[in-house]
Amino acid sequence: MAMSAAEHLASRVPGRHPDLPETTAGTLRLDIREEGYTDHWYLTIADQSVEVSRSYEEADLVVSGQRGVFDRLAAGGTHIGSALLRNDVTVRGNLRLLLSLRRLFPGPPDAHHPRAYCLHGNGRR
Amino acid sequence: MRQELVHVMAGNAFAISDAQGDMRPDPAAPTGLFSFDTRFLSHWVLTVDGSPLNALSRDDMTYFEARFFLVPGTASHYVDAEVSVIRHRSVDDAFHERVTVLNHSAAPTDLTVRMQVASDFADTAEIAAPRRRPVAVDAVAEKSQLRLRYQRDRFTRETVVTATTPAEVDEEGLTFRIRIEPNESWTTDLHVACVIRGEGARDLRADLEAHQRRVRHHMRADLHGWLDRAPGLISGRPAVSAIYRTCLTDLAALRYTPLAYPDSVPVGGLPWAMSLYGRDALVTCLETLPFTPELTPATLRILAVTQGGQLDDQHDEEPGKILAETRYGESAAFGDRETSLYYGAADTTPLFVVLLDEYERWSGDAELVRELRHPARMALDWIDEYGDLCGDGYLRYRTRNPDGGVQNQCWKNSPDAIRDRHGRVPALPRATCELQGYAYDAKRRGARLAREVWGDPEYADRLEREAAALRERFNRDWWLPERGYYALALEPDGTPVDALTSNVGHLLWSGIVDDDKADAVAANLLDPRMFSGWGVRTYAEGQLPYNPVGSHLGAVWPSDNALVAAGLRRYGFDVEAARITDAVFTLAETLGGSVPELVAGYDRQVTRYPVRLPAAGRPQSWAAGALPMLLATILGLRPCGDNLLVDPALPAGFGRVELLDIPGRWGYADAYGRDRAAAKASHGEGVRTAG
Repeated sequence: MAMSAAEHLASRVPGRHPDLPETTAGTLRLDIREEGYTDHWYLTIADQSVEVSRSYEEADLVVSGQRGVFDRLAAGGTHIGSALLRNDVTVRGNLRLLLSLRRLFPGPPDAHHPRAYCLHGNGRR
Repeated sequence: MRQELVHVMAGNAFAISDAQGDMRPDPAAPTGLFSFDTRFLSHWVLTVDGSPLNALSRDDMTYFEARFFLVPGTASHYVDAEVSVIRHRSVDDAFHERVTVLNHSAAPTDLTVRMQVASDFADTAEIAAPRRRPVAVDAVAEKSQLRLRYQRDRFTRETVVTATTPAEVDEEGLTFRIRIEPNESWTTDLHVACVIRGEGARDLRADLEAHQRRVRHHMRADLHGWLDRAPGLISGRPAVSAIYRTCLTDLAALRYTPLAYPDSVPVGGLPWAMSLYGRDALVTCLETLPFTPELTPATLRILAVTQGGQLDDQHDEEPGKILAETRYGESAAFGDRETSLYYGAADTTPLFVVLLDEYERWSGDAELVRELRHPARMALDWIDEYGDLCGDGYLRYRTRNPDGGVQNQCWKNSPDAIRDRHGRVPALPRATCELQGYAYDAKRRGARLAREVWGDPEYADRLEREAAALRERFNRDWWLPERGYYALALEPDGTPVDALTSNVGHLLWSGIVDDDKADAVAANLLDPRMFSGWGVRTYAEGQLPYNPVGSHLGAVWPSDNALVAAGLRRYGFDVEAARITDAVFTLAETLGGSVPELVAGYDRQVTRYPVRLPAAGRPQSWAAGALPMLLATILGLRPCGDNLLVDPALPAGFGRVELLDIPGRWGYADAYGRDRAAAKASHGEGVRTAG
């Protein structure tokens, strides 16, 4: 089952992420809007680790959007880059941090390893 | 015969019009005003008293400015025109046009000046047949303003045309009813803003730190500074200096500032590739390190920021893979195409490591190598983990997006580019030879960086062992002894694809060729089947698929030739490298203007003139970088420790060549060379350009 963005942020994002470059450092705030209120998630990235808290502090990059968009991100159903172009998320601040989210949120669940695709890909598609 | 098209450009914005300055949709060319892969103006047509205008002359002032001198009426009776018109346009983030109407007669004149305006908001990907979009039009007469707006869900694009003088505004344009006194003139400024609306009706870019820093107020000073920072060239063949300056100017024109980064990087080129392409940008940087090294750190950093992070079939993305293409248009946003961030390229990832190392050799900037250790390590890991698709140690490609993915994920990326000499299409996944050279080179260079900068000698040893093993197996499996060259590709079962192509020249550039095979490879590259007289063909004549007008099956690419010539010199084929350099410079000299991306593969003896191809845009960044690289090759420029080595081997006719103030870890150094004739006789004065 796909996780919601809130579940993903609470359970999968905090901790060490060897995929993050050791030189990536900064703060990101995700403003997840639902009717009537906004959830704020505050991510601090340093030394290939992410700390997650609930805070409305100003951040190097603020990303906001509807809850449905973030839930799709958490399920690997949309690419953060395309979501930005569609204006499904809006951003303010240091955009270089945006693609760090690509390392913290999953890719599509049905994606193949290229080698597996070459072995089995034809039959499946 | 098609009419000449005129362009102005800046960043990823450009406007292409006819010779009168008018813009109308054309299915064969992206005419109109474009920014961020969207056409913001599809009609921009000026009339005076209902009459179209005729061009007297034009001044292409800089790449971002042009002036059109026009008169109303048809060519037959404009000789004694009483009215003339000047359109002076420029582009930065927005488009400006100053229209000046002059009355040359002895009496006052009343005129109706009209600018017809429309936008179809077409995506650059669909110029041949743009979809009809609902466009909301708002005429704001009190502001002399016309607003055109397109919205799909939350995706919005808006064109705002504002005049500085009173105008009648209707849904199809602006009309000015004016009176001009004798020998007086009338002027209006038309400002066209290309708005990408973000939340709360703010422009997306206005929110972005990177764009806030962007200073476009001093574009002329910027161009001057750019030319000034590049080494100065004095050449005994004056055309060489002129071509060099054109190439530098084209490189300046083709810089753009991505959303995510404050420094500029090369776009592919006009008109179809006005966005960041990993391959074009990497090759352009490799070509221009001795000349415009400032392009490289920005390119490496943006490619590191956008490096693949997940497995994603639609985008052909894998962790560590370096970008193939990024686009901002509607089709990218909505996933109709996978181009928002597309990774379908097997060569960009090793070339990223090659460029990082080469940049450090020139600049001494070890800090950047430390900063980019993680992305470089992920790129090196990608080669074996995700690039070796058959587990036989060779780098291969095959798209996982059968609907929209690129079939040939190497520089020869047209769908039919990879064939054997009888025209047979090899099976997928496909391993082309130059990819193996790039992988070999990346491992060797990665080893040097690991040993000298990252302090990881064990990793360095491992990479060197892997490189040596790759070289040994490559020279065994790919060499076609009866033909004297390397196979173009290997099929999954190891069957060689036996075509003779320019790809073998890239192998020399990467250094994977065994010394005992280099003579045969060089001889094949300069054989009349390969060498057209304008350069080395992509694909040798005399093989069934050969087609002189096929982009990758016969045409000649300056960028390809720059790498081939560098490879030849690397293996000591100085005369051959000089011959190619002379050919490509003659090509550029004969055509004049910006160097096109490719020309037809016809024999020079037959056509006498390089035949341009419709697919070949200009300016193109890797074509503009090719000629400087050829100059560096014949001068034999090579960093060695903290010194710049110079070992000239010039083609006849180049006379004396001086390249002054070459930047690098040595500070600034000069290089001198002379061809044999110039070395024998004392030589006259040369021509100095660009600082």
